[in-house]
Amino acid sequence: MRLALRELRRRPGRFVVAASILTLIALLLMFLGGLLDGLIGSSTAAYRAQPGDLIVYSASSRESLVRSRITAETRAAVEATAGVEAIGGLGSLQVGARLGEDPGSRELVGTVLFGYELAPRGLPAEPPPTGEVVADSSLRSEGVSVGDTVLLGPQRSPLRVTGFVDDTRYSGQVSLWGSLDTWRAVTAANRPGQSPGDTVQALVVRTDGAPAAVAAAIDAGSGSTATLTLAAATEALPGVAQQRSTFNQIIGVTALVALVVVALFFALITVERTALYGILKAVGASGATLFAGVVTQALVVTGLAATIGVAGSLALDAVLPAGAIPFEVTPSRLITSVVLMLVAAIAGCAFSLRRVLRVEPASAIGTAG
Amino acid sequence: MFLALREMRRAVVRFGLLVAAIGLLVFLILFQQALQDGLLTSFVGAIRNQSAPVLVYSVDAQRTLQGSTIPPELERQVRGAEGVGRSARLNQSTFTIRIGEEGDSDAAIIGTDDQELVRPTTLTAGRRPEREGEAVGSDGDFRLGARVAVVGSPGVRPAEVTVVGLAEDLQLSVTPTLFTDLDTFRAASMAVNPGATAMLPNAIAVAPADGASAERVAASINSVAPDADALTRGDAADNSPGVAQVRQSFQVIFLLYGLVVPLLTGLFFLIITLQKAGSLTLLRAIGARASVLAGSLLLQVGIVMGLGLAVGVGLFYPLSRTGVGGLSLRFDATAVLAWSALLLGLGLLSALASLRRVLRIDPIEATSGPGVR
Amino acid sequence: MSSSPALRMEGVRKTYQVADEEIVALDRADLVVGGDEIVALIGPSGSGKTTLCSIAGGLLTASQGTVVVGGNDISDYTSRQLTDFRRTSVGFVFQSVNLVPFLTARENLLVVSELVGRGGRRRRKDAVARTAELLDELGLADRADNLPAQLSGGQRQRVAIGRALMNGPDLVLFDEPTSALDSQLGDQVVKLIRDEMKDRGTAAIIVTHDDRITHYADRTVRIEDGRISA
Repeated sequence: MRLALRELRRRPGRFVVAASILTLIALLLMFLGGLLDGLIGSSTAAYRAQPGDLIVYSASSRESLVRSRITAETRAAVEATAGVEAIGGLGSLQVGARLGEDPGSRELVGTVLFGYELAPRGLPAEPPPTGEVVADSSLRSEGVSVGDTVLLGPQRSPLRVTGFVDDTRYSGQVSLWGSLDTWRAVTAANRPGQSPGDTVQALVVRTDGAPAAVAAAIDAGSGSTATLTLAAATEALPGVAQQRSTFNQIIGVTALVALVVVALFFALITVERTALYGILKAVGASGATLFAGVVTQALVVTGLAATIGVAGSLALDAVLPAGAIPFEVTPSRLITSVVLMLVAAIAGCAFSLRRVLRVEPASAIGTAG
Repeated sequence: MFLALREMRRAVVRFGLLVAAIGLLVFLILFQQALQDGLLTSFVGAIRNQSAPVLVYSVDAQRTLQGSTIPPELERQVRGAEGVGRSARLNQSTFTIRIGEEGDSDAAIIGTDDQELVRPTTLTAGRRPEREGEAVGSDGDFRLGARVAVVGSPGVRPAEVTVVGLAEDLQLSVTPTLFTDLDTFRAASMAVNPGATAMLPNAIAVAPADGASAERVAASINSVAPDADALTRGDAADNSPGVAQVRQSFQVIFLLYGLVVPLLTGLFFLIITLQKAGSLTLLRAIGARASVLAGSLLLQVGIVMGLGLAVGVGLFYPLSRTGVGGLSLRFDATAVLAWSALLLGLGLLSALASLRRVLRIDPIEATSGPGVR
Repeated sequence: MSSSPALRMEGVRKTYQVADEEIVALDRADLVVGGDEIVALIGPSGSGKTTLCSIAGGLLTASQGTVVVGGNDISDYTSRQLTDFRRTSVGFVFQSVNLVPFLTARENLLVVSELVGRGGRRRRKDAVARTAELLDELGLADRADNLPAQLSGGQRQRVAIGRALMNGPDLVLFDEPTSALDSQLGDQVVKLIRDEMKDRGTAAIIVTHDDRITHYADRTVRIEDGRISA
């Protein structure tokens, strides 16, 4: 172990290129992961912030919020279902917002106005009064502060921002949270054809029983709903499952590349060290000890690369202008990436195991010359 | 030649690992190139591959067709702007459709009152619509002659559209898409929302009058109509939400992968060149020309890169047939060749350090003994 | 001369299977090396001297016969036991010195105890003390922190001897210690070996085809075609 570390310290030159390749790979892993988290986060955070266990759509909506309509009648049926503890309507409207007072501005920010009853995480239990909203904190980077007014849609419906809430973006856009009345009024004004009347788009349900059983009971009782657990509804949002599986495939293959790079580099180094290993074995070092040295070096080099990768990701996160790329750095993603790299490093060393063990101590004598 | 191949056969694990690493990287690059192209095409193919040179949205739409509404006053301003030649109304919405006995799915329907101005630029099969109820569909999503039912509200008879033509890359927002006339679009809307009254266009398609360029017309429309967002076809596609983000994200990815490949080959060949410096010296001493040794090195680089590219393309090809997550991927031979040439070039370039080492070997070293390095 | 021999080999035979043919590398070899005796082992290349030396040092196991080193019968040791045996009971000085190039003289002496890593602080302290003592005795005290590349050929040889003596071996095996040296340096080295071994009363086998060595040795053993001819 000490021998392996000393070699790293005394001959850093021969590890530099391998380390830089692994650094690039670490950066790739973390960038891809951050992109995935950013994409998924910015399209699902509003759902993940919901306080309930279940989401109730209308049966014909095919699990889409915009297509779903829940009438007061359906709502009453859902509310009467055994196991339903609390229930809240949810409505959404995707609409462009003008920040600032100028109604003629051509600069718009994509927003989703939500009307809620059951407060999502971080929002006041009582929805803001009509005409006021709590905005996702990403709106701050657009220069909006508490007390500012934003103008929604072609009708420039004014909404005053009375507070901010973290991590509630939806469909890649800034979310605004208000009462159902606010949502109904803005929708009726800007989308005359889609006025919700007294309907909502979906219901958020908190259960006091097993959510799956309650979901089945709701659908059976109402006859016109499709009820999903919150997790399933989040995963069913457009693009989420596909993005996740595509990115995970790419991340997996990239980790495989890290494995092969470690395998390749240490296979090369091990070949170079055959004579040295012969001598060390002759003077009493075991194959296991020597292989532990290889693994140590691989872990140190990879760990170093991963650390630089972490720093690089954080730097990238700081440098990237907000909203340029949906890139999000989370501790769990960084840790996962580092662990993935280290596992790949250990697995990569396995390619050298046979060669290290196979070196004959007897080769130290009488071979050279 | 002999040397290069013999050495590779003797060190099959090492060269095999290098080929595997390059193969995987090539695969990743090609896959993500196809993913980027596929994403962009499925996002905005319908806009890029339609014939109207200028599209006018309302500013509020933020460059999405469906979110845009053109009130009569705005329409009047647009049509009256300088340089506007032919113009047409355009409506687009996403509908729930059913084909035969298959389950429900989504489709975007784009209707226009001038199918000469707004039409898919090239058909891959069939013909253009001639009467109400006919449409051109995005290929891969529809079959020629398919009868598409637009699922309406309960109790309302579904509207029906027949696919008479197919066009490549015609999707909008990764959704199957149908190009048809305005009456067909209206029928579909009425099936869903029988109570709807007046239907405002989502956008106005414009062709410049003789002598005007698309850019000039777009600019003149934007100057007279503050609520209009007029864009040339290319700008409309490139400025659609998400397109720039997709591009930028993939550029970072390509840059990083593109750096890994030459670093990897460069490192590998440098190490093995240093490792066999002794034998190379010996070969020089017994009369091998430096150019032969250099040629042998470059041949190895070429073979490794060639095999790596073959592995990468071999992995990518089947995937490009199946697509991922509902997104169709294309085996774009031009892109594959371009990447292959670029990576091969980078690989050869990366071997320069090793090449210099080989050329610097002095045969006299062979006689002066190894010494301590 | 101490009472018990450092090495006793009786009827040792070593064969290799090459393709379908059995090659006899060593046949009916009997050899006894006394407790502080220095034996020169001479023979042409391929004669079996390397094999004999490897068996005596526990690098190879004999196909037949008995090998006793410092009172331990290692004939039937497993490879793990042999590894421990080499670490604790014999010393090696390899051809062309073969120090670990990225370790200092001191660290080259410590390398074995560090590689094993067992025994805790106490043993490590002992090892460090012994290293200082050996370096001092070998006249390398002021060179302890130099890398092999910064040492002369003779100094490197002394470091290698120091490494072989670290474990207080019963027997030290020298593999062609002078083959890479010019005659003057070779002479010095052999003298050094003799002095160091005799000072400690440690037995040694020096494998060589260099006749100069023989008059520094107590006894010369010739080997040819796998047979010892004494």
